[in-house]
Amino acid sequence: MTVAIPCIQSSGVTLVLVVSNIDLTTDLPIMKPSTFLESSIKDFTLNINNDYRYLKAGYYVSLHAEILGNQVIPSSENIIDAYRTPILLLRASKAGIPTMPYLVTDSVKQIISEFNFPVVIFAVNPFSYNGFKTAKNRSALYRALKSLGMNYKFDVCAQPLKGEMISLKSVFGRCELNRDARKISKRVYEVFKIPICKLHIQRIEGKAYLCGLQPLKNEEISLHDLKMISEEISQISKNGENLVG
Amino acid sequence: MVKIWLASIACFVEKYNFTDPKEAMALQNFKIAAEKMGHEFNFMFRENLLEIPKYDAVFIRATTDPLYTAYIVSKTAWELGLKVVDDPKSIQICGNKIHLYELFEKYNVPYIPTIFLNKDELHHKRILDVFRIFGRPVVVKAPYTSFSRYVEKVACETSFREVAKRFFRKSDVLVVQKFMPTTFDWRVGVLNGEVLYVCKYMVPKGRWKHGAKRRGKPSFVWGRTISLKRENAPAKLKETALKACELVGHGLYGVDIKEINGDYIVVEVNDNPSIYAGYEDFRNRDIYSKIIAYLTD
Repeated sequence: MTVAIPCIQSSGVTLVLVVSNIDLTTDLPIMKPSTFLESSIKDFTLNINNDYRYLKAGYYVSLHAEILGNQVIPSSENIIDAYRTPILLLRASKAGIPTMPYLVTDSVKQIISEFNFPVVIFAVNPFSYNGFKTAKNRSALYRALKSLGMNYKFDVCAQPLKGEMISLKSVFGRCELNRDARKISKRVYEVFKIPICKLHIQRIEGKAYLCGLQPLKNEEISLHDLKMISEEISQISKNGENLVG
Repeated sequence: MVKIWLASIACFVEKYNFTDPKEAMALQNFKIAAEKMGHEFNFMFRENLLEIPKYDAVFIRATTDPLYTAYIVSKTAWELGLKVVDDPKSIQICGNKIHLYELFEKYNVPYIPTIFLNKDELHHKRILDVFRIFGRPVVVKAPYTSFSRYVEKVACETSFREVAKRFFRKSDVLVVQKFMPTTFDWRVGVLNGEVLYVCKYMVPKGRWKHGAKRRGKPSFVWGRTISLKRENAPAKLKETALKACELVGHGLYGVDIKEINGDYIVVEVNDNPSIYAGYEDFRNRDIYSKIIAYLTD
């Protein structure tokens, strides 16, 4: 199958935009993921998707770009790691991003022995990806593990809850919260390069700590976000090669 | 007196790794080989993951997939600078057949004729197209298949749609392959670019794959495993297996290969290959010590 190649020559960078169901307010050419997956375009690939989860179209676009030998944002490895909470926290912490201590386990007893209540629980299983649960006592912890661990079959990622949980939208590392949250959002983007995501952070005594990262639902993307995404894309199209880490 | 070990190996396992006596025996053989070579070898379960930094190497025997705990163990060990089998990159590649076949295509590894099908393509015209290209039946494979699961043979549009819809629940892209029946598949075990063992995985009578689900039951029926001395296996077979593994990495792999009219065609490369006492090790007893030596090198 022959596919027309949309490209922009700017600062020596040819940019291919791959967009799923996001209607961007940009003049730049856009290609659907399904079209890109059948193509063999060898160019800088900017994969814009609200959901990059493993096995979903957003993941396959980055994978296909890598097989073609393209530079791509985000990389398939970063996609896998960013969505697996313990790996997100491990790599973020290595990069100097403030994180909370965490425990990967399927045991209520082990969580209680490591942390005091309340605790926040993220799923580490192939099926759940949305949200987290907080547990203030043993019975709530059992319920959280039963639900997020799919009847204790899978592990969960437990973290102590010492402050307030805040969820924020991050677009190319930009978010509209206070300075600490903005700094985390920017640093997470620098490390993982996930253009659009939801970050869960914990604010303790005015300081922000990264807790988790999840995909955004399409309906969560506002007109303002679309504008921000389009602005960033235009920026990358001007300085593309400097932004691939 | 406290024994001083040369190196300390954690073997990440889950309870199910001990349900088959042959697998449990193989795990004990790893422990015996490691200790004979002067290394500590401890089984590490999910509740002991905090202990990863204490070890020099991690050997994963629990089922791997980027979405399973085994990937978290692998990546954590990797990030901490430990030697790890299976390494995260191998899990990422072998855990997704789309990834694997794209690499085979790019680097000219002979593999089963394959088409990728995405969700938008599940319509009458495309299905007929697939049957026209490959004939009937065809094999529909979920990218996350392992142990012969999520691989089904379909011969009509209704079955095609039913299987594809089921597999699309988890993955947005599927693999469709030409049906190429053989009485056995070669299994070549490869470690760090060298052939470790060679077996024939026989297909049970009346079935079309090595592991087939019993009708109406959750259990599987498995074909026999015939082991060969690696020196006696065909050179071209070993060459094909090594070429396929080169694309994945330098870890431990089990390559499934079909022999058709003297040609060797790769079915897939698996990380975390099965090692059962009396099967894979039957003609190549040194596989345990070779793997331990690689982990502690």
